[in-house]
Amino acid sequence: MKGGEDEGKVAQPKGRGKRAAQPAGRRSPGLRVSRGLAALRLVARGGARYARGAPRLFAAAGEHRQRLRNDLALRTAEDVAATLGTMKGVLMKLGQMASYVDEGLSPAARRTLSRLTDSVPPMSPELAAQVVAEELGRPPERVFGTWDPEPIAAASIGQVHRAITRDGRAVAVKVQYPGIAETIEADLGNVALLRRMLKITAPAQDVDALLAELRDRVTEELDYRREARNQQFFADYYRGHPTIGVPGIIGELSARRVVTSELADGARFAELAGWSQAERDLAGETIYRFVFRSLYGARAFNGDPHPGNYLFHGGGRVTFLDFGLVKHFTAGEMAPLAAMARHLCVDRDPEAFRRAMEEAGFLVPDAPVPTEAVVEHMAVFYDTVRERGPRTMTGEYATAVTRRFFDFRSPLAAYARIPRSYVILQRINLGVFALLGELSATADWRGIAEEIWPFVQGPPCTPMGEAEAAWREARRLGRSA
Amino acid sequence: MTTGPEPGRGTAAAAGLVERFAEAFTSAVPADPEDDGFFGPASVTWRVSADLSAPVAGLRSLMMQALHPLAMAGVDQHSGWRLDPVGRLAATSRYTTTVCYGDRASAAGAAGRVRAIHEHVRGVDTVTGRRYAASDPALLLWVHAALVDSALAACALFGTPLPGADADRYVAEMTVAAELLGVPRQTIPDSVAALRRYLDRVRPELGRTPAAAESMGYLLRLPGLDEEIAALWQDIAGAAIAALPRWARQQYGWQAPPGLDPVTPERRTQVRQALGVLDAVFLAEPGVLEARQRLELRRRAAMRK
Repeated sequence: MKGGEDEGKVAQPKGRGKRAAQPAGRRSPGLRVSRGLAALRLVARGGARYARGAPRLFAAAGEHRQRLRNDLALRTAEDVAATLGTMKGVLMKLGQMASYVDEGLSPAARRTLSRLTDSVPPMSPELAAQVVAEELGRPPERVFGTWDPEPIAAASIGQVHRAITRDGRAVAVKVQYPGIAETIEADLGNVALLRRMLKITAPAQDVDALLAELRDRVTEELDYRREARNQQFFADYYRGHPTIGVPGIIGELSARRVVTSELADGARFAELAGWSQAERDLAGETIYRFVFRSLYGARAFNGDPHPGNYLFHGGGRVTFLDFGLVKHFTAGEMAPLAAMARHLCVDRDPEAFRRAMEEAGFLVPDAPVPTEAVVEHMAVFYDTVRERGPRTMTGEYATAVTRRFFDFRSPLAAYARIPRSYVILQRINLGVFALLGELSATADWRGIAEEIWPFVQGPPCTPMGEAEAAWREARRLGRSA
Repeated sequence: MTTGPEPGRGTAAAAGLVERFAEAFTSAVPADPEDDGFFGPASVTWRVSADLSAPVAGLRSLMMQALHPLAMAGVDQHSGWRLDPVGRLAATSRYTTTVCYGDRASAAGAAGRVRAIHEHVRGVDTVTGRRYAASDPALLLWVHAALVDSALAACALFGTPLPGADADRYVAEMTVAAELLGVPRQTIPDSVAALRRYLDRVRPELGRTPAAAESMGYLLRLPGLDEEIAALWQDIAGAAIAALPRWARQQYGWQAPPGLDPVTPERRTQVRQALGVLDAVFLAEPGVLEARQRLELRRRAAMRK
């Protein structure tokens, strides 16, 4: 479960196919936005931070690099406090959230946040072992059959170790930095300073909504038990799914600061660049099905579409990792979202669409804006699902979505809102579409959406859809049995 | 990532403060030192220099130093700080960093260059009518003592406080810095008690001249500072004022900000959080992280011995 060590490659467009033929053309249409997207991938998640910081720091060979990083390891809770205390941990989390406020950040702020992430070394083997012992009652060599003291990846406010359980299962063990929870909670208490920083670093954003979101998400992340519950929720929901895999949680080896899950292995996102387009299309289809099936079927959204959080196995099979940022929607929160999609894409009733937007809180009621302008503004978000037939996701589409999202000059801007409970959904636009664009994935997205939309319940439109329908049928039978 | 113009970047005098301090720091931390210099990775001086409270110490140090009319006159009449105030501050920072972390040859070389400049800094203070020379050991000792005292005060209030024995060790270690600039060894305080006695002795000579008021007024406002930094600077300047001895605050006519006299635990935390954000901004400058890692690797190697 290496947390995206290939990310440096992902951030640089891979020179392949059409893209390689016109590298300048890809960059020119919107330099600001393209840079934003690159930064999004850089800042998005701590997963790659050892590897990402390393090449710049130590040009030497891997082994030497590893030794140097270990030489800088955090050895005590005091080391952790010095590295992540006094706002730095909070700012780092802000940097991770910046993947959905990216365009609102000044370049200096973006640079600060990503550098901060680079600056965090791993825990020393002794310190990690100490946390495991405190959480699970015994040192890791005794809790597990085999314990690898070298971390294989950075994780959110912690790091990931490999181990083999005493009954022989290969597992990934995420261990939290000691003292980080207390430090971050104290720093989150300085609302005045946070508001000031957010006002400066993200002037275009609703600071209070963002701050509330930051506090909620960070507080949640500090307790790994919540993440374990969420991951198990997804693992249960997708059990037996033909292409979607979620590693199960080993509950008895998980606690507040330690979470143990089945170890998964597979190809990294960056390796997909070398796969056939057909394989990339299938991988894209699975990611798309996962996002929208989870949303409409389980009313849950995993808000972390970072490239490091997927493992690919070919044939469209994808393992989904890291459930530290999951949002569960109520039926009441989901209903307007479904209504919007239905009215715009199925009923094609602009006035009803507008009313659903108002009901969801995306649009101030009775805004002096013609409904055509509302539809025109929002259409880009639904662009891939308005008509049947194969469509190719492109980097340009992701860019257009992002640009529209941050288009504060639009006549709608003064009346548009993002209610707090939907803030996390921005990740679909800014993360998932960017990811699918990176894959240049082609599919009949509308056909897939119709399968998933509860107000359509369309027939399977792809072989994967057939397999998924069989899985759903088996699950239905299993439940009624 | 910073190819575009950055918001809040003015053309006024203090723009680029963080960048220029970072440049001074990264260039003064040696990549391949000949030796461990006059202090070394196991010294208290290294620890104090790396303390989160260092910006407060630096600012308090300037506030103290400016209270000596002759020291202030030398800066006022010769350094041309009005033309490039940030450059002047960064040069001082580069010098102290070189003396602290550089090898002996670099530190002595830097000190030699400062002494050469001091030779030309002499004149008559318009306030007291007294002649002054920057090479005067008495003035150099004042500047030195103000810095050492400020580092201890900032650490105690807003940083990681030093145990008594380490505070004495720090004062003793730092005597070499004054020697490098030409202060006779026997006159340099080498313990906290000796430092206190010295400060008491010199206090009758101190006072706020118009030049001190002007330069400190500038330092507190720093017009043209990047927006990201300006608000933090206010917190840190307030902390530096709070860290001054009461008599020094009275000479300037300043009051400590609410909650900082004495410092409440809540306000201490808030100042440290502001320092943490400033440090994060500093850390983002090119080379700063790498320079710190060079120092940390040397510190750990020394601890293993």
